Amino acid sequence: MTEAAVAVERLEKTLGKNKVLRGISFSAQPGEIFGLLGPNGAGKTTTLRIISTLLSPESGTVEVVGFDTRKAPEEVRRRIGVVTADIGVYPRLSARENIVYFARLSEVRGVDLKRRVDAVIERLDIRSFADQRAESLSSGQKQKVAIARAIVHDPEVLMFDEPTSNLDVLASREVREFMVESRGRGKCVIFSTHVMHDAERLCDRITILHEGHVVASGTTAEVRGPEPELEDAFLDLVGAK
Amino acid sequence: MRAVWIVYRKELIEILRDRRTLMAIAIAALATPLVLTVISQVATRTATQTYTIGYTGDIPIGLDVLVQATGLKLEPVADPAAAAKHQVDIGVAFQTGGDIDEYYDPSRQSAQIASTRLETILGQYDAAQAAVALKSRGIDPGILTPLHLVAHPLSSPVQAASNAFLSFFLPYILITMIITGGFSAALDSTAGERERKTLESLLLTPAPRSRLLLGKIAAVTSISLVAAVAAIVSMFVALSQVALPGSAGSNHITLNPVAVPVMIWVALLIAISFSSVTLALGTLAKSFRQGQAYVTPLYFITIFPASIILFIPDFNPSLSYYLIPILNAVLVLRDAIVHNAVEWANLAVTTVSLVGTGALSWYAALRLFTREALLTRS
Repeated sequence: MTEAAVAVERLEKTLGKNKVLRGISFSAQPGEIFGLLGPNGAGKTTTLRIISTLLSPESGTVEVVGFDTRKAPEEVRRRIGVVTADIGVYPRLSARENIVYFARLSEVRGVDLKRRVDAVIERLDIRSFADQRAESLSSGQKQKVAIARAIVHDPEVLMFDEPTSNLDVLASREVREFMVESRGRGKCVIFSTHVMHDAERLCDRITILHEGHVVASGTTAEVRGPEPELEDAFLDLVGAK
Repeated sequence: MRAVWIVYRKELIEILRDRRTLMAIAIAALATPLVLTVISQVATRTATQTYTIGYTGDIPIGLDVLVQATGLKLEPVADPAAAAKHQVDIGVAFQTGGDIDEYYDPSRQSAQIASTRLETILGQYDAAQAAVALKSRGIDPGILTPLHLVAHPLSSPVQAASNAFLSFFLPYILITMIITGGFSAALDSTAGERERKTLESLLLTPAPRSRLLLGKIAAVTSISLVAAVAAIVSMFVALSQVALPGSAGSNHITLNPVAVPVMIWVALLIAISFSSVTLALGTLAKSFRQGQAYVTPLYFITIFPASIILFIPDFNPSLSYYLIPILNAVLVLRDAIVHNAVEWANLAVTTVSLVGTGALSWYAALRLFTREALLTRS
């Protein structure tokens, strides 16, 4: 097995009075879509925020491409791209300006800047609205801009936190296709969702979180076990059946 | 420092595309000339206006000529006390034997002006009558005025009046415009960033948070200064067009040369300091609206020390007073305008105080910007 792109070891985190994570461990490899599943409040978003250095772990360790999130947060942030359900874009900037801004902050410079911005615009089919102000874009178009700004610095790890929850069918499909394409390019894709159907179709391996614990981990087939669908196995694991 | 420049540029682009900020600057530029024009017209009207004295009885010989020459008009009335309430500005009853009863309403400004003018005229009339009486007896009227006061003003009275006006008006405009000019931009780049859900993406970039914050402070400072400069330039353009009446006729107001660099320096200090304060408050807020609730009281807190100059024009405080932010800026500016000189010790203490306020606020904003609650609370 290759070196893990993301390695989480005995991670614990308390937010306010809630113990959100209670010693979870997992690892995700380059060239795979790794599913982080669980009901609302299971700790998925907190886990992703710790991996992306927005929150610090209470105990345990997180490494991204060999860099510890506590010791080298800026190195970690150089190597990740995050797409969330809350599609925040700067409304008074155009789609292109939004992407350029994040590229510059991610230290993409010189001739590389134009080349990479043009490349993501092309790749995500943004060209037709690239120079429109973001305030006039549809949710699907905004999500494309959000993806573009997250990948413009060509990160090794991509994290998607419920990326399709505010999107229509067509836009959701495009996001899913993008995840598959990224896997094909050797990226480590971490996909956080509570939509079992999406996870079953896309993920190579999954980890199911429930009340801050890992309740199952393995390939999709392994976790599904004898159940006809992943959803049945999931409901069984979280005690909802 | 590249990240500071990147954030600064982006924030400026966004601010300049924001209708709220542009409107604040436009209002700043337009409001001042408008206010000055109104002040000028009211002042001119007050100075040249004729006030009416309602009277009963016989007017002493020659007094009517003096009254009319001083912008007062005599009008016979039945009851001077009743007439002084609304019909005329003051009421006067000329009694036999030289007694004069005056009736006026102190709550009316016109009554006060008319009363003062009448007192002056009566003083002159009395002196003239006494002089005539003494002369007819072969006595030099000069014995009535054994002391002669000869005034030697050390500066131009016109310039002094101009300085007095500017020392009230200019600090007010400067402080108000700096605060209101950057208000919207500061909230938009902090609370607005949270509300639009762009904050998380911004914090996910490798740029250190201190640099992100510095870029934002620099942008808000710039826009505050633009608003202040727009207001002050328009004020001086207006002052060159309108004139304020004075003892030597209509005067155009000019600013002492020393006051200009002092004003620029003080404006810069206030802008940096206030950008940091408003950004810190904006970072505390979850939404633009909540940010407004936090920042609005700041305006009243800051404008209060500035008001001291209005109520106590000759306020000459000790050096320690120059440690109080805003009050120190107003005092330094007033000293430069009125005395055409810089008290270096006062300016140094003011600089330390305002830079210190800015640094503390920046540190507070940075602490808020780096705490986990910034994301988890929303």
